[in-house]
Amino acid sequence: MSDNHDEEVEIQALQRELDDAFQTTRPRTGFEDELWTRMQAQRPAPSRIRDALAGFFQGIREGPAVPAAALAAVLVVAIGVGIFAFSGFGRGSTPTAGSAGGASQFAAGAAGRAASFGRLPTPVFNPTPVGLAQPNAASPKDAGTLYSGPATLTWSGHLNLTISTAPVFRYFEPSANKADQFASGLGAALQARPAGLLGSYTASDYSLQVRGTVRSPAQSPTYFIVPDSTMPGVNAAGAGPADLASLFLAEHSLTPQWPSTVEVQTSGDQSRVRFVRQFDAPGYGPAPLVDTAGAHDGLEVDLNGNKVVRVAGLLPLSLDSSGYTIVSAEEAIRVAVTSSPQPAAGAGAPAVQLTQADLVYVLAPAGDHSFYEPAFLFSGTFQLNGTTMTKQVLVPAVDPSQRT
Amino acid sequence: MVADRPPFEDVYRDFLGRVYAYVRAQVGTSADAEDITAQVFMNAYQAYARFEPRHTTPAAWLFRIARNATLDHYRSHGRRERLRRTIEHQPMAEEDPASKAEERIQYQALLEHVARLPERQRDAISLRHSGLSFQEIGKLIGGSEDAAKMLYHRALKALKEAVAKESV
Repeated sequence: MSDNHDEEVEIQALQRELDDAFQTTRPRTGFEDELWTRMQAQRPAPSRIRDALAGFFQGIREGPAVPAAALAAVLVVAIGVGIFAFSGFGRGSTPTAGSAGGASQFAAGAAGRAASFGRLPTPVFNPTPVGLAQPNAASPKDAGTLYSGPATLTWSGHLNLTISTAPVFRYFEPSANKADQFASGLGAALQARPAGLLGSYTASDYSLQVRGTVRSPAQSPTYFIVPDSTMPGVNAAGAGPADLASLFLAEHSLTPQWPSTVEVQTSGDQSRVRFVRQFDAPGYGPAPLVDTAGAHDGLEVDLNGNKVVRVAGLLPLSLDSSGYTIVSAEEAIRVAVTSSPQPAAGAGAPAVQLTQADLVYVLAPAGDHSFYEPAFLFSGTFQLNGTTMTKQVLVPAVDPSQRT
Repeated sequence: MVADRPPFEDVYRDFLGRVYAYVRAQVGTSADAEDITAQVFMNAYQAYARFEPRHTTPAAWLFRIARNATLDHYRSHGRRERLRRTIEHQPMAEEDPASKAEERIQYQALLEHVARLPERQRDAISLRHSGLSFQEIGKLIGGSEDAAKMLYHRALKALKEAVAKESV
């Protein structure tokens, strides 16, 4: 009886080891992207030509009437482009599978390509900041002095826009398996799959939660780390919050693999270090990711002295990219100044001069996949009851003809 | 319905690691595992239009392709290797240390024990721990769900004995 019991225990231990063995055995870094590229390159000719022409025909359907001769001439060019793509020189004409870095892959693929993700969802903006709030958190952060009420807007800044296309980035919704792989890479073990989360995990001195995309208000797939009381402080005499945060991330294999800028907010012993995710828009430069209220988004490390008390960051994901036509600066300004809610009859609305506009990226969820789309973030300040308030307006940048 | 078929990109990203682990448990080197995994997804990509989700899950469909590719590899590799060793009188090749270092693999010794099991037992363990149900394994190996369970438990015992024998 006891022998049987012992054998059963040993078998169960072996099964757990096998589970771990199969879950942690993965190909070398880069293999996933290499193979995807090979598969795309070996697609049959008709489907590659079809993709090369798809955006073109969509443009014709939605555009103004075109004389038949001009249409024929353009068709010849388009078929040439299709053959060019098939020849192998135009490898960038299919969406580019990339790593979490994502932005750099666009350079090879965007030029002259039209809308290979099809029509895009229009991002929904929300004046209440959400940022990287904890799952199920009730209160927003950084509400500060942002003003979301009605206003009479004018533009007095300078928006110098020299690009007419910008990349859109797409990711597929991460599965629980993907979250498990991420956790496993950090040395964390699955504890449960609570509703609303892909997984809840524990490591030696912290707990980890991984959440998928939130549709409304839109939030990216995110991981949350909460250290327990046994986690020691970051040992770096004289280091500031940004260095402490970077050291912590490096020690835990969490250093962002995407371009970023660092912002630090400090109040007494408490600091928040934010690594703002940047996307590269060729011809424009880096454009930050913002949440639906226009607040910078990426990875946050909260510190109390030299101890990390919370980390919230974008879950590493593979991104494809594709170039899309964007609206002109004039059109973006026109939409911005007419976007504010109208005041109720008889009610006054403050007059606000928008003075600054930047290209940013915003999340547009779309079910099993979602997009980081370019947008313009307009802002201006004004006085309200003696307090300086900031009015922000987000305007989708992708041309309306390519949005749903 | 065709609409139930997930985008191939989803299948690719969800299953690449699992298929690789399954193949890696069957073959001796990470280079072979990469080659076979690549072949699996190339074949799957070309055949995806014919994949009918009403009749099978993406997992069962993909692992059938993976199993066939691995068996093909064994058949051709076995012939080549026998020929090479006959000509050169050389022992089995060792894994390239550099590729071993690059590969993210733990429990190497355990997977090597799995790889040395008889084919059907090796298959049962690899498929089960790649996430397939006993019903799916039964279909793949040409047996019932109960037969798959029995085969799996026999394989577990054989694996336990192999591991114990080596640690003595």
